[in-house]
Amino acid sequence: MAIALASNAAQGQTQAPPSTLVFDPTGVQRFAIPDCIPKRPDDASREACRAFTQVLRNDLKFEGLFQFVPESLFAAIPALNPDSPNFEDWKSVGAKILVITRAEVVGAEMHVDARVSFVDTGQTMLTKRFSGKADNPRMFAHQLSDEVMTLTAYKGVARTRIAFTSDRTSSKGRIAKELFIVDYDGYNPRQVTVNNSINILPAWRPDGQALAYVSYRTDRSPLIFLAEIFLGRSAGNITGERTSGEKASQAFAPAWSPDGRRVAFASNRAGNMEIFSANADGSDVRRLTNSAASDTAPCWSPTGAEIAFTSNRTGVPQLWVMDNEGLNVRRLTTLGNYNDGCAWNPSKQYSEVAYTSRIEGGFEIAVVDLASRNVRQITEGRGSCEYPTWAPNGRHLAFSCNRSGTWQLSVADREARQMTTLSAGPGNNVQPDWGP
Amino acid sequence: MKRAFLLLLLVAVAACGPKRPPVVTTGPGAGTSTAPGTYSPAPEPVSEGPDIQPVDSDMASSSDLSDPSGEGGPLEDVRFDYDSAQLTDAARGLLERHAQWMKSRRSLRIAVEGHCDERGTVEYNLALGDQRARATRDYLVSLGVEGAMLTTVSFGKERPLDTGSTEAAWARNRRAHFAVSR
Repeated sequence: MAIALASNAAQGQTQAPPSTLVFDPTGVQRFAIPDCIPKRPDDASREACRAFTQVLRNDLKFEGLFQFVPESLFAAIPALNPDSPNFEDWKSVGAKILVITRAEVVGAEMHVDARVSFVDTGQTMLTKRFSGKADNPRMFAHQLSDEVMTLTAYKGVARTRIAFTSDRTSSKGRIAKELFIVDYDGYNPRQVTVNNSINILPAWRPDGQALAYVSYRTDRSPLIFLAEIFLGRSAGNITGERTSGEKASQAFAPAWSPDGRRVAFASNRAGNMEIFSANADGSDVRRLTNSAASDTAPCWSPTGAEIAFTSNRTGVPQLWVMDNEGLNVRRLTTLGNYNDGCAWNPSKQYSEVAYTSRIEGGFEIAVVDLASRNVRQITEGRGSCEYPTWAPNGRHLAFSCNRSGTWQLSVADREARQMTTLSAGPGNNVQPDWGP
Repeated sequence: MKRAFLLLLLVAVAACGPKRPPVVTTGPGAGTSTAPGTYSPAPEPVSEGPDIQPVDSDMASSSDLSDPSGEGGPLEDVRFDYDSAQLTDAARGLLERHAQWMKSRRSLRIAVEGHCDERGTVEYNLALGDQRARATRDYLVSLGVEGAMLTTVSFGKERPLDTGSTEAAWARNRRAHFAVSR
């Protein structure tokens, strides 16, 4: 696997188009990440270092762009001198890039020094010093991982978060569903809604400051709400459904346009389920579909020019595509008789749509390539997986599976080589939406 | 640092063909010094950002607490076949009795809830529940029940009566439920 590390377009004002720097044409871009070295001998610094190292290794491995010298080989060479590393030692275990980190905890503060070097030349690629509160050493590792990723063509995901729905607050005989947010690796669960009703289908606003979601908390009727998660504030019925009388309607499945200006959603205000779009404040509502069937579950293309959705207008649910004004409707999926819940890869580099497909009685995650219409299956096995969502850089997918008997969040790379289940907390954890 | 790194990149790009090993040249400036300790970047703050605040902790819904969409209430649930919003003969018979009951109680408000079993996607089941609720409501209206008494709501597969994964549990969950209020 040849790894191309390219300059990050955001780094300079006068920069030419991003160019690709091929570090090693023979194909192995092998990192060595020795243990972080405590700058003080106290337990707090040692423990911070230990946690930091583990998370940094996980973060960089997760990105799937690099290879790594097995940590077991580090014992075969002399101990690392962080101020003057012997690069020949590291070369001897096959390292191409050496990540040296030192950390200390001083009171409530933690400081990390990091140096990333080419082993062959001893050249320094990156030098960083981080300071912050000591209570979450994971965040320091996430930040360094994202810094390393700025040397590649992809934006790192280490500081991204996933919103989801969990029934963990249910009591006997009463199902409650609340929204939660976890770090991309399943750590740091935080509860967003606290209303004992049903709160589902979270959708990150592209700025990462708010979630649109569906809540039944008003008159037991599903409406789209907006939670500004850092302000603790929410607004209800943002699509302006009529909430009483014979013409009362409901709204489902909010999806933000990539620029964050508009929300596509499904509503039954016209008698059956159709797709609409509106400004985030509910103004300028436009009806996009018009069929006797149920049209629902919209998702936007990365340019915002097109919207995919589910319709059972042929008798069974299939994915369709239209432009963002509802014109030029054409069918997207043809394989199988039950395809639903689209997620368009947000990276313009990958032209593909993930969705949930019924395969041999169960449900699996599949991806259709828009150019070739070839379908590849991401998941396979006992039980079901559903509700795919893409990482912001388009290189990973999250979804929910019930293989273990309960529904849990899982993450796979887009080629489905590796899959991990997140420990996002108790209960059934479903409907992930991967945020910025 | 960034400028120096950029320079390094540009120099390296200029020097590298795709098949040759990289030639890395140190650009002017100290950012790429190999001498340890001679370059110490300004510390960058690490922060998780603002805390995530829960919303609406004061908005627990009292109507939900009193009726968890159970089988209780004066009107028996209407059952559906798998993946179908068609009213069966049994369902029509039941709804005819419900219609008589409703016509003599015009001051009531009745929410017709469409529910589904756990199979299938979240979104499709929300649409299916909506179809079930509307098919039920439309039949009641065709029997002379005042439309103003009836609202519809889909719960999809979000609030099953029976959380089991058996045929029997699925059959109980494929239903229209009637939440009656004054």
